[in-house]
Amino acid sequence: MYRRIFGLIFVSLCVTQASTQAQDFKLFDRNVQIHGFASQGFVHTDENNWLTMNTSGFGSGEFTDFGANASTQITDKFRIGAQLYDRNLGGLGKWHPSLDWAFASYRFTPWFGLRGGKVKTVMGLYNDTQDLDFLHTFALLPQSVYPTDLRDSTLAHEGGDIFGDIPVGKKFGSLSYTAYAGHRSDSPYSGYAYLVNSDGAQFKSFGGLQYGGDLRWMTPLKGLLVGASRMNEDVTLDFLNGPTDMRLGSKSEWTNQYYGQYTWKKLVADTEYRRYWTDLGTQGISIIQEDVRGWYVAGSYQIVKRVQVGSYFSHYWINYPNGNLLPSGSGHDYDKVVTVRFDPNRYMNIKVEGHFMDGYGLPNEYPNGFYGANNPQGLKPNTNALVIKGGFNF
Amino acid sequence: MKTITQHLKSLIAVAGLMASLSAFAADVKIIANPSVKTDSISADELKSVFLEEKSSLNDGSRVEPVLSKGGSAHDAFLKLYLGRTEATLQTYYRTLVFTGKGSMPKAEASDSDVVAYVARTRGAIGYVSPESSTDGVKTLAVIGGENFGSRKLVTHVDPVYPAELYKNHIGGVVRLKVTIAANGNVESTELLGGNPVLGEYAMAAVKTWVYASGSSKTKTEVSIPFDPNR
Repeated sequence: MYRRIFGLIFVSLCVTQASTQAQDFKLFDRNVQIHGFASQGFVHTDENNWLTMNTSGFGSGEFTDFGANASTQITDKFRIGAQLYDRNLGGLGKWHPSLDWAFASYRFTPWFGLRGGKVKTVMGLYNDTQDLDFLHTFALLPQSVYPTDLRDSTLAHEGGDIFGDIPVGKKFGSLSYTAYAGHRSDSPYSGYAYLVNSDGAQFKSFGGLQYGGDLRWMTPLKGLLVGASRMNEDVTLDFLNGPTDMRLGSKSEWTNQYYGQYTWKKLVADTEYRRYWTDLGTQGISIIQEDVRGWYVAGSYQIVKRVQVGSYFSHYWINYPNGNLLPSGSGHDYDKVVTVRFDPNRYMNIKVEGHFMDGYGLPNEYPNGFYGANNPQGLKPNTNALVIKGGFNF
Repeated sequence: MKTITQHLKSLIAVAGLMASLSAFAADVKIIANPSVKTDSISADELKSVFLEEKSSLNDGSRVEPVLSKGGSAHDAFLKLYLGRTEATLQTYYRTLVFTGKGSMPKAEASDSDVVAYVARTRGAIGYVSPESSTDGVKTLAVIGGENFGSRKLVTHVDPVYPAELYKNHIGGVVRLKVTIAANGNVESTELLGGNPVLGEYAMAAVKTWVYASGSSKTKTEVSIPFDPNR
């Protein structure tokens, strides 16, 4: 396994050196840019299996993703582009490529623009960039707010955005806004599908209307950003329970997210809070009603040109608002994380990360990394994990 | 035969010249393709162009930012005008590229490559070290800066470029802090960087400038290029 990982890193190095030479070409007198990325990870845990991988034995290297995009500026205000993305994370993704984003964008003025197509959803600091490993210090973003197994549910929408940047004077900084509406559609290889299938049912589809907005303020205090996001949903979950078609629809479904980021020289400090409320039912009766809340505090520092260190504390818990009691020992996951990131050159990175987790969420109700199907022997209360990840981009 | 005092004076003069050279070597000048109409650009507008928030200037000129891959001019530009480190700037551009919201700007390996690209590309705007040759491009004055208020410049006079310095190819960018009175007159100037002799000429000119009147006294930063290649 180690040999495979180091082999992939070596191949990445070679591909990077070759690919960085040819990113642009001309098409109909327009400059077209081609960019791509890939990453390979390895995860070992001392106790429970995590993120649908068999991590608790030797460990698992089923943690691969890659993507490529092409884009061009048609006029100074009009641009088009598309990106393909593929991943294999244990039982998720399974090497089925997807259209990550594909849209046309027209910016009338700096304060008003439109884009339409399949668009990454702006929510919080990192929702739209959560797959882009090379942008982050950490190998895994805080799972309390950005659960990688559930990424499909918030990642992108097929629809449109209005967006812009509004200066509000030197004394008050500037505002950026995005408002959006569209259709969300979870892949059959997503976390919810995995949960439904591992419960013995057969997943058919999960998706529907999503609309909301994001407002962020670059404050006059240099380096300080604060913001808030809201997402409303009207979604339907279709699955087969034995021979019976089942359909659960939203009675009420929303997410609120509040965030702040402070950058000072080579130090970046982030904090976010997300609350997700879901009430799915049929014929007016609530079947699944959950109140999920997560927050984290993170800091990273570039100690020398090619090395960053970082740490975060990620805190997440689930409530049954209807008064049902949670199974003993479950309902939360508190994760303390330390990371070192090394960039051998501007195109490559290697990360080594330790996770020290207390709790395992609610494995058979609301997946968040830990699934009953991967842990048939039952879940232990604590999990320590080592994550090693290498990647490149051009 | 020179006396010890004369030798000391020569040494002090050389040391002074080296100090002033190192001061403006750490600086940067902004260049543009001759198709760009304006001769000056505000620091805020320059930042917006390089962060791809706008692709045309206030006068309607379409512009394309051109980066340098490294060097003292690159470091000075990031610090003075973008307020970002190399790592955070690259993260910013990659976020744009991989979410479909922008392109990776052209980046050239050396000052001469930046000048060559800007010279042949309509609307291109870049930056180079002050001592770089700027054949085929124009040099833009930058008005305002990070943490400074910006007031519209109503009238301005170009500074005198001393013939002796021009002839001896001594130039660079002079940076001044300018205090503007509420009525728009320049109240005082302070040399922040660049050749001190050129700085004197720059300050003499700037003291005659007039800005739009405002509600109170404000400060701004002005970068004035003295280009011996023009």
